Amino acid sequence: MGSQTENTVTPGRPVRRPPGVITVAGLGRQTRRNCRSVTPMVSQLWRAVAVYRIVTLAYAAVWILRDESYYLHPLGGFLALAVMAVWTIVTVAAYSRPAGRNRWLIAADVAVATILIISTRWIDTAYRINHGAPTIPVIWAASAILACAVAGGPWAGMAGAVVVWFGDVIERRQFLAESMIAGLVLLLVAGGVGGYVVRLTLGAEAAVDEAARREAATAERERIARGIHDSVLQVLALVSSRGREIGGEAAELGMLAAEQESALRSLVSRDSVEPDAETGMVDVRSLVEPLSDGRVTISCPATPVMLPRAAARALSGATTAAVDNVRRHAGESARGWVLVENDGSGVRISIRDDGEGFPAGRLTAAASTGRLGVSHSIIGRIREVGGTATITSRPGRGTEVELHVPQP
Amino acid sequence: MSRSPDDQVSVLVVDDHPIWRDAAARTLTEAGFRVAGTAGSGAQALRIAAATRPDVVLLDLNLPDHPGAEVTGRLLDALPSVRVLMLSASGERQDVLDAVTAGASGYLLKSAEVRDLVDAVRATAAGHAVFTPGLAGLVLGEYRRLAQSATGLAGPATAGGSAPAGAPAPQLTERETEILRFVAKGLTYPQIAERLTVSPRTVQNHVQNTLSKLQLHNKAQLVRYALESGVD
Repeated sequence: MGSQTENTVTPGRPVRRPPGVITVAGLGRQTRRNCRSVTPMVSQLWRAVAVYRIVTLAYAAVWILRDESYYLHPLGGFLALAVMAVWTIVTVAAYSRPAGRNRWLIAADVAVATILIISTRWIDTAYRINHGAPTIPVIWAASAILACAVAGGPWAGMAGAVVVWFGDVIERRQFLAESMIAGLVLLLVAGGVGGYVVRLTLGAEAAVDEAARREAATAERERIARGIHDSVLQVLALVSSRGREIGGEAAELGMLAAEQESALRSLVSRDSVEPDAETGMVDVRSLVEPLSDGRVTISCPATPVMLPRAAARALSGATTAAVDNVRRHAGESARGWVLVENDGSGVRISIRDDGEGFPAGRLTAAASTGRLGVSHSIIGRIREVGGTATITSRPGRGTEVELHVPQP
Repeated sequence: MSRSPDDQVSVLVVDDHPIWRDAAARTLTEAGFRVAGTAGSGAQALRIAAATRPDVVLLDLNLPDHPGAEVTGRLLDALPSVRVLMLSASGERQDVLDAVTAGASGYLLKSAEVRDLVDAVRATAAGHAVFTPGLAGLVLGEYRRLAQSATGLAGPATAGGSAPAGAPAPQLTERETEILRFVAKGLTYPQIAERLTVSPRTVQNHVQNTLSKLQLHNKAQLVRYALESGVD
């Protein structure tokens, strides 16, 4: 079931149709479109900066209204508040569009924040400033740093932090005081961490986009490939059957075509070998299918046959060994059949051939003389994962190996 | 193989690949069948089948316009006595299973030998089910899946989450399971008959039964689905 796709609820196969519902052409095979939200993450980050700016504007307004009576120039305080309000409107509007997020506006953003910080020196009294009164914009100034971080990543964010901090230095006329160092560290963290998160987010978004693009491309390639494979298979099947009919050299060509037909068919009908992301289980069919060729037929259910990875590996390993035995020991013209079943308690794989067979007791004899081939590669593997293996054969009536591994 | 023109089996060959279609038609004519017509698409097949009323429709699973299962269902709606033998190049399992549950009486890979194709058309015309080992494996798996979703042990395969709607899941008898497993392991009907010491005819009947039960269940589900979704 190659249309991987198809089925799988697991990526690869389409969702199984409800029982009995006959699909209209193509309905069952739509590739799942990537339905992520339309707003790119960058825009959401800018929105977050806008929210921060508006909330901190209100915060600064509360401080100014509470303290204006202590200011040296209360009017200056209101003027600064007006500038902050206007600048908030300008930047929120500008940053909402990608074209507005240019470096000049962001530089101006940092400059406005810095100048407003410095203006505290003129608006407020030296006494209050020296005793730790907040600057006029308070934490509104950090919105410029966040804008740098979102626009340019961690280094831009930290550069903005340093500029704003110098504004603080000029305003307080202190340089290496403990509070100044602490302030610098906080601003650097805001700019640096903010920028880092932005970079991670953008990386993740790009990865998701890339994955979606690849998924779409793969689905399209598979769709085209199915059509081509079908045509090629038709022609190969035709050449092989007509060739055998005509005989002679044409029969040889027919044999070649038959081999290729079988190889291509097993290639295109292969299920996903990837373990299920949630359960870590593997579809046993995917491990056994590659064994199919002109001489060996694989029969499976249409739905996945899941086993934990170790059990699936053991089972497919034992199956491979049994099929190898068919190819090597059952005789030139012998054919093999592999049946994969899910019997409710576990997974059963039967391998039968119509070859020469062997007398009862030969396997135990081989094992006791130290030739461990069959018992080790088949029985040992299966016992290791708690399963059972039986091998029955009669001369002239082929060999049958039955493997059973319980499901957890 | 000297049939009089009257009891000659008539076959409609449906395939979108002209080379294959013509080769199959020639092979069938040479083998003594009457080719009632050929068609390159599902819609064309339905038209020609209605006009020529063939005994057997040899239907390619991958037609350009409609899925094989849908064409099969509509052919059987229009001509209840027609028998549909599916052919496919790639053997997409779910497609094959859908087609036989929709009513196809058998399935063959296109790489089958000419002799097998002729035998299969003959068996289909006689009302027998044509099973490949692959189809037997699919049918076994489908019964298992139905049983699991009926007991609520819905595996990962029964996605869509649709709870077992209505009709109780069909079950295989022990004998039917045994026989299907033999078919899946490549034994022919005579070989199975020999192992079980029954007649090949009995084996054939059991195999036929496994398909009929699935098809009946599918039909019941379709009716139920139609009623539930308010289709008159």
